[in-house]
Amino acid sequence: MLVDSILAGYALFMTPAAIGLTLLGVLFGLVVGALPGLGPLMGIILLLPVAIGLPPVAAMGFLIAIFVGGSCGGSISAILLRIPGTPLAAATLFDGYPMAQKGRASDAIGIAISASALGGLFGGGVLILLAPALAQFASNFAPPEYAALAVTGLIAIAVISEGSLLKGLIAGCFGLLLATIGTDEFSTGYRFTFDTHHMLNGFHIVAVVVGLFAISEMAHQTMGNDLLKKPKIDIARPGFGSVLLTLKHWKNLLRSSTIGAFFGALPGAGGVISSFTSYAVAKAAAGPDEKYGEGEEGGVVATESANNATVGGTLVPSLALGIPGDASSAMLIGALLILGYFPGPTLFEQQPEIVGGIFLVYLTSNVFLLIAGILATPLFVYVLRVPKSYLIPIVLLLCTIGTFALQASVFDLLVMFGFGLVGILLRAASYPLSPIVIGIILGPLLENNLRRSLLISQDGYWIFVERPVSLILIIVNLLLIAGSIWFAVRKKSKAADKVPVSD
Amino acid sequence: MRLRRIFSASIAAVVMMTSTAFADFPERTVENVFPWSAGTAMSVSQIIAKALGEELGVSVPVVSTPGAAGTKAFITSMNRPADGYTIIDGYVAPLVLQPVLGNADWSFKDFKPLHAAVSNAFSIGVKKGETRWSTFEELMEYGKANPGKLRYSSGSRNNLPHMVIAKVLQSYGVVAQNIPYKTDGDARKDLKAGVLDFSFINVGAYLQDKDGFEILLVLSELPGAKASYDGAPSITDLDIELGLSGLAPMGWTWWLVHKDTPDDVADVLRAAMKTAMAREDVKEQISRVGFVPLEWDHTQYEEIVGPVAGQLGAMGNALKWEEDELKKLK
Repeated sequence: MLVDSILAGYALFMTPAAIGLTLLGVLFGLVVGALPGLGPLMGIILLLPVAIGLPPVAAMGFLIAIFVGGSCGGSISAILLRIPGTPLAAATLFDGYPMAQKGRASDAIGIAISASALGGLFGGGVLILLAPALAQFASNFAPPEYAALAVTGLIAIAVISEGSLLKGLIAGCFGLLLATIGTDEFSTGYRFTFDTHHMLNGFHIVAVVVGLFAISEMAHQTMGNDLLKKPKIDIARPGFGSVLLTLKHWKNLLRSSTIGAFFGALPGAGGVISSFTSYAVAKAAAGPDEKYGEGEEGGVVATESANNATVGGTLVPSLALGIPGDASSAMLIGALLILGYFPGPTLFEQQPEIVGGIFLVYLTSNVFLLIAGILATPLFVYVLRVPKSYLIPIVLLLCTIGTFALQASVFDLLVMFGFGLVGILLRAASYPLSPIVIGIILGPLLENNLRRSLLISQDGYWIFVERPVSLILIIVNLLLIAGSIWFAVRKKSKAADKVPVSD
Repeated sequence: MRLRRIFSASIAAVVMMTSTAFADFPERTVENVFPWSAGTAMSVSQIIAKALGEELGVSVPVVSTPGAAGTKAFITSMNRPADGYTIIDGYVAPLVLQPVLGNADWSFKDFKPLHAAVSNAFSIGVKKGETRWSTFEELMEYGKANPGKLRYSSGSRNNLPHMVIAKVLQSYGVVAQNIPYKTDGDARKDLKAGVLDFSFINVGAYLQDKDGFEILLVLSELPGAKASYDGAPSITDLDIELGLSGLAPMGWTWWLVHKDTPDDVADVLRAAMKTAMAREDVKEQISRVGFVPLEWDHTQYEEIVGPVAGQLGAMGNALKWEEDELKKLK
């Protein structure tokens, strides 16, 4: 059945249009991903009107390739400039940027692209082999399970905030607070909207991320005395050796890709959670000589393999159930419907050639990502040779264009600059910025699913322990919290032991 | 005297320039402000926007501006200049329903219509293989015997499906708990998993997974809607009178512009949209998604939308009734 569908799809895929557009989509995706503000969703929206006039497999190849390229592209600006091009890459800068600072920008980008492609291929394997079964498993996740899973994600803050746990938690709570702004889904009441329509849907996450990271970083850069200097950096061509560098971390790669595909298969979970969780797990599992946060290759492998494996995972409920995993896959479903195909169980039964064609374009997108990405890396790294006096205004201009393009809203620009100021202040006070992103993403997931569970429940909070998967997740969460406290206490007592006793 | 001549000449020049500007309309991108998050409905608007753009000779991007049951998009659009460069994707929820619920201070008459776009019928469905009931009447009997026990979803809260389902339940005296979801797909997933007892199912979702759902009641009196659900029972088959006809119980959108938009600018958009909506390729693409392309032009706006506003206004207490009854049970 599986082989038949891929063979049937092979004929539809092996056309110059399908192959050419898949390559074009990957390149376009890399660019929209790397530019702050834009991302895979915006790329798909921009080119959907073009795609719906194409043959089905070529059209889906074009859009899926944008999704794949866009999910990786954000890492390029995260590594080079400490600016995540998309929220998906917010965790990549933990180790990607320090690697670039140590003169390993090419390696970092090479690893990011290789890990993305390999993670994506892993996600593709999951999609092809397990789509119907995984979709069935994902359907066991109802609001109680999502609420418990959101708590798991929040615990990741404790892991990534090592060294400043309290500040990390404060930043996370600030993110959770920001997430409450807008129209309440349940009462339809307005919260903290200050009587302005701009706030009715809260702050746009992309405007917040670009402000916090990009504006604060550019402000930080202007404080140096090297604005006019032309940096002399030898640009090493990464080559396909990056794949070997990545494969050295095969356990991490496999684990993070599994986490990514799992989160992708759960509608609504998404790539940001998967990349932060994978990073937290990789860091927790690291050996004593691995210094995460200081330019460790494994950090880039974890986040980038996870967020691209999420793309494959996201296609599982989208194709097998017709339920979009996130906004980008919702647009893919829309395109497929316009092209005359109904995603869902009947697509697998009645049009296996389309399913096979989509499998092939997805796998090929990841192969193209690897080849095109590695070949283009020197071009990206060239950015580091541009004097800051040119680079900073160009980056600010791109941030402004990208953020304005979200909703054609000047208010979003004000949000971006406002959070730029917040970012500058928080950095000056040594607060980590990433927990804010985790809080904003997980806040609605936790709050809405908690309240939804209680509305569904006939027995109040018992719903969380009556459902086996929810109960298991709660136990895992309790163990993680206990483990975090134990590690923190042990670390503190070790540090106390090391303090020399004065006479 | 000379001053007056200069003044008159200046006025004439401004008028001529303005007329030339209108004659050249559009000179740049015309934007469609879409009131929901990205998804299938947005793809449908993109089909129309693409065709409209081809007729106008400029691109027509669709910009998703979700928030506050669609009203954020309306307010955003109304705060832009009334120059025809901003089109409001006038879905019924923000256009008619939110004013009925007191959440917006406009009426449908406060906008200049361009052309009707699409409608989308919906139904009440249960998961396939449901053994507790096999007809809508049996579902209602169960609901009456177990007040407050049934769980259902209309997607988001206080939207049109919620209003219509609440009205149906009110007519039967059945109190059920509405569970809001971020996306319709999440609600359908939980319906299939047995977390919900029934849910609203639109045509597109039904066509995607016919084997997954049993349609108990089509919430439209239109024969076309019944046919889309393979002849499932509709509100015309019920013993009760809901007072809903035409577009009233359905989702639909009518593309609009700010009421101060000059007539000649609106006419350019109207003519282009009429041509776009009449195109066979456009109609075919829209139909594939399960939406119905609408052919009404701006002259029929009041005639079609007026009764919808009247009927929704008349049933405005259904949501309040549901809320009050649930509170009593607690």
